[in-house]
Amino acid sequence: MVSRRQLLTGLLATGMVPRVTWADVGNPAFLSAARDQSGAYALYGLSHTGARLFRVDLPSRGHSGAAHPFRPEAVAFARRPGTFAMVLNCAAGTVTAQIEAPAGRHFYGHGAFSLDGSRLYTTENDYDAARGRVGIWDAQNGYVRIGEVSSGGVGPHEMLRLPGQDVFAVANGGIETHPEMGRQMLNIPFMRPNLSYLSADGDLLGQVELPEDFRKNSIRHLAAASDGQIAFAMQWHGSNETHPPLLGLHRLGQQAPLLISAPEDRQRQMQGYAGSVAMNANGSLVAVSSPRGGVLHLFSAAEAAFERAEFLEDICGLGPSGLGVFSTSGTGHVARVEAGALSPLRHHPVNWDNHLTALPQS
Amino acid sequence: MRHVLAIAFLILPLPVLAGPVDDVLDHHILPRLERLASETALLSTVAEQHCDGPSALLQAAFNRSVDAWIGGSHLRFGPSEEENRAFALAFWPDSRGLTPRSLTVLLTQEDPIGLDPVAYREMSIAARGFYALEFLIFDPDISTSGSEAYRCVLIQTVAADIAYTSMEIYDDWVSRYADLMRNAGENDRYQSEDEAVRALLGALSTGLEFTADMRLGRPLGTFDRPQPQRAEMRRSERSLANVRESIAALGELAVLLAGENDPLSANLSIAFARAISRADIIDDPDFSGVAMPGQRVRIEALQRQVRDLRELVNTQLAPELGVAAGFNSLDGD
Repeated sequence: MVSRRQLLTGLLATGMVPRVTWADVGNPAFLSAARDQSGAYALYGLSHTGARLFRVDLPSRGHSGAAHPFRPEAVAFARRPGTFAMVLNCAAGTVTAQIEAPAGRHFYGHGAFSLDGSRLYTTENDYDAARGRVGIWDAQNGYVRIGEVSSGGVGPHEMLRLPGQDVFAVANGGIETHPEMGRQMLNIPFMRPNLSYLSADGDLLGQVELPEDFRKNSIRHLAAASDGQIAFAMQWHGSNETHPPLLGLHRLGQQAPLLISAPEDRQRQMQGYAGSVAMNANGSLVAVSSPRGGVLHLFSAAEAAFERAEFLEDICGLGPSGLGVFSTSGTGHVARVEAGALSPLRHHPVNWDNHLTALPQS
Repeated sequence: MRHVLAIAFLILPLPVLAGPVDDVLDHHILPRLERLASETALLSTVAEQHCDGPSALLQAAFNRSVDAWIGGSHLRFGPSEEENRAFALAFWPDSRGLTPRSLTVLLTQEDPIGLDPVAYREMSIAARGFYALEFLIFDPDISTSGSEAYRCVLIQTVAADIAYTSMEIYDDWVSRYADLMRNAGENDRYQSEDEAVRALLGALSTGLEFTADMRLGRPLGTFDRPQPQRAEMRRSERSLANVRESIAALGELAVLLAGENDPLSANLSIAFARAISRADIIDDPDFSGVAMPGQRVRIEALQRQVRDLRELVNTQLAPELGVAAGFNSLDGD
């Protein structure tokens, strides 16, 4: 556990009164990786209205990012099975550090910062042993590796920090892969995904699995509400003749997760694949996207009930936006979906990549 | 205006819009799965008479059945996905060595489940299917482990189980699933013909990926750390044969999907034929050559060629079939 004193010294060390903050880069609401028309890859800052605030080059296709809680600093992860992540100074548009996965590990493309911003956590594959790991990096000293802990399962994908506390939720997708065999899945008949909660030091605080019938539902992506409610999105690797739920809700300490599905004829639109998940600011609305189906499903969190679908080609990235959610698509579209309707915000001449990273708002 | 259109329709030959689904079913899927069912039925019959590992007849029947399986192994949707059937036929890769481990337990404990093909359907998939049978027939340790009598019956049991599962897959296609694809748009499974085409194209693309990444990629490992012991069916020296067989089957599917687009179908035929001839010049049936630079270069070149085939399918065939390749929808993460 991080003590109050450690927390305070951590804050002091990073500059309690930071010289440069996210406000200095225009208070972006989101980060997203994208490919532009020339085929180059970059990380972008986007405002709440979808305006482009900054752009930092990436050497290859990105996947997702992690945002420092107050420095305008972001970590952009390469697409799985990448072995690098870039630390970007979003104010200067420069790369301040490059993180390399240690030998025998690759990144999964997601990570999270500690509450005080002193540590970065990354989901990793110890592929020869087929064990999921969480790498811990010192964000105050050039991102040197401090250590690693078990992710609580196989194939950890997204991890996030619960708002206001140093507790991390990790989506252990359950799928064994090895970089020498691309993205081939090596253990589908035996896969066993879980949602794990870790302390800042890697202690397993809680873990839930799925019912036996849904064991082939890989838990991949996460969203958290301010009260600690977790929404998780899944990717189905079982029969394509069934359309199982792809969204779950859980709270640390609860027994079983609550799995939610749209009515069958709607659920099939998702094609067994949820790409991203987001909750609105007060946690009342949950959204999952399926780029394969070109569809967004909206659910009421309180009633765990399907509300409606919106269709957008190649939609994937999602983030909170007031009482609604914000979305990006591989076609370059940026939109906002509120309870009532979908409003297109802007179109950029880029292919927005899978995920949006929501930034702390001052 | 209406007249002009009417005349235009009279003069211009109407484009034939019949999709490739029927052709793929009638000339690829159904005959290949019928062959799988009949070859494995024969395998089971042969095993009843010749259940000792070294039997040439048993080995020949095994080889014909595996040829049939590899030629349909990319059809991993619908009937083969139900009840884990494809995994029950083919549990590979076995990265944890579960197949030899579970077979050793069966053989040394003479577990009665190995004597009963019906009960055996509840057995762990690691001990079922072609890869388990390969161990029982060809592996120096497993094929001599335990008592001869038990091992003989276990071979018969595994072969009968394979035949049963293969028959179930074929039956399910004939009695149910083929019609769902043929009558796409009139059922919930395939709500449009596009969906059926997309499933077939997906099988082609992932089949090529599987051959490149697994059948070739697993033994190749890295230059500094080649992994010949990971080659698929190296014990029966089928590693290269499986690659060749899969390219041939996938080529057949690609050409059928290209349908009446002659230039595209010619392009695909030539590209697949080139890959097959590249496989033919490799003299290394079990891929043990991945550790020898001279052979390795050839196996790597074949892998590149299979990846190029996939690229060709994704960039030329997919757009021709109207399947949009979205930046995120293709990413799969």
